[in-house]
Amino acid sequence: MPSVNVVNGKQIVVESAGPVQQLVRFVVKPFVRMWHHQDLIAAILRREMSERFKGSVAGWVWAVVAPLLAIAVYTFAFTTNLQLPLANSAMGPRVGYALFIFSGIIVFNFWAEMAFRAPMLLHEYTHFIKQTIFPSDMLAVISTLRATAYTVISVTVMLIFQLVATHTLPWTVVLIPLIFIPFIAFLIGMSWFLCAIGAFTRDAGYLMINIAPLFMFATPVFYPQSALPAPFDFWIYANALTGYVEVMRDIVLFGKLPNWHVYLWSLLTSVFTFYFGYWFFDRYRNVIVDVI
Amino acid sequence: MSSSTSSDIVVRTKNLGKAYQLYARRNDWLKQVLFGWWKSFFKPFWVLRDIDIEVKRGESIGILGRNGCGKSTLLQVICGMTLPTHGELRVTGRIAPVLALGSTFDLELSGRENVMIGGAVLGLKRSEVLRKFESISEFAGIGDYMDQPVKHYSMGMRTRLAFSICAHVEAEILVVDEALAVGDAAFQRKCLDWIDSFRKTGTLLFVSHSMAEVRRLCTRAIWIEEGRIREQGDPSTVIRNYHRALLVEKDDIHRFSASE
Repeated sequence: MPSVNVVNGKQIVVESAGPVQQLVRFVVKPFVRMWHHQDLIAAILRREMSERFKGSVAGWVWAVVAPLLAIAVYTFAFTTNLQLPLANSAMGPRVGYALFIFSGIIVFNFWAEMAFRAPMLLHEYTHFIKQTIFPSDMLAVISTLRATAYTVISVTVMLIFQLVATHTLPWTVVLIPLIFIPFIAFLIGMSWFLCAIGAFTRDAGYLMINIAPLFMFATPVFYPQSALPAPFDFWIYANALTGYVEVMRDIVLFGKLPNWHVYLWSLLTSVFTFYFGYWFFDRYRNVIVDVI
Repeated sequence: MSSSTSSDIVVRTKNLGKAYQLYARRNDWLKQVLFGWWKSFFKPFWVLRDIDIEVKRGESIGILGRNGCGKSTLLQVICGMTLPTHGELRVTGRIAPVLALGSTFDLELSGRENVMIGGAVLGLKRSEVLRKFESISEFAGIGDYMDQPVKHYSMGMRTRLAFSICAHVEAEILVVDEALAVGDAAFQRKCLDWIDSFRKTGTLLFVSHSMAEVRRLCTRAIWIEEGRIREQGDPSTVIRNYHRALLVEKDDIHRFSASE
């Protein structure tokens, strides 16, 4: 069977398949490709990780210092005079609200890093895309994995801080992967979409730089979703980040199982974004090579 | 693929054409993406037209032509980096492109790290790259520079490193685009010797402006002009005609403007 088989600008898939088979193939395709290119993903990921702190003496210490510094500042910034969430919990008001914000910011920063970077992602790798046989769809996966590494550091810092401050952690923290895996899928899908758009126009990058900071307030980072007045406390879920922030707080801070509607909604946005992003990228992949 | 004749053909193109989309205004591509199903907003610029090539296993093909005639695009299309606009293309076997050598190197990283990435990009497993590393660095012959950042390399050293990565891919079809122009004579000879030995098992597609290389390496030559095949056949005949044409035809400055 030919390894490349193209007729009139379309790849020919030789064997015929029914609609169910095609759907199954579409569903497994991104994962098959990730598995197939795992060594390439690892090689480029390794390079990207070392690149971030290249030329700095402290290196990876910065990745730990940054979240530590942030959480310390939040703790001292918020006074007890405010009526704050978690004010009556065992954590004490300051620590409670600091953790409340920090957990929101972890989720937000993870999203923001991808939102800022994705539109320029393919431009960073133009040489690879144009001059080698390069699986450009794996770039979104690689950059999301890189951001995941920093997020894992932040979450670890937060958990240690929480443990030191309160001498206890709720058992529900073991459920963290249940929210982070769908979130990572959500971000990979978003990156596919944004980097495909970004290949055509730089506007996508400028747009994200302007919009992303606004999302910090359109997402319940500083306030709980329940504090919003009547219609908005429902519609805020239209911002998919709301669900992830809320579930994250439920399992890490409040030590309770998340609301199942909210969790299912987050799963739904995750699966939809992942596959929509992949479909979109795949559709324009061959055009992107020529315009980038 | 039951008949023996068709399985011997590793690259087959039929009526192959490639057009780049030229947009009059910078933002017309957006209209094209949104309303492309309705009408087209670009002027097609045909870089390749009516290309019919059949390459058999074990052949080595030299591709000749002036700058911008479509040679490199043809190789890119055959490698599958960019899709042809119409016509058929069939490639059988593992293909390794040696195009624009070293342009994918990360200047901040050492030669060693670039070998790891370059190998992965060409489809090698990490264990394979590690196993072949000694051999790669020996072929490149850049000694202790292997652990220096690539930004301190000369052009020739980059070429050496890039070519030796490609030489270790174990491809069935090797596509080489003016790769050897920068290396010194000794290294060029080494590469040519390697290509010679590669030809015993694999198929070679080769672009070069050095007629001597084409004559030495190729069993068949294809002369491309303005995106079409002008002549193909025995290397010495094609080279002679190509040379004659170069002397007669001036270096016309209007060659690159889109006509029609």
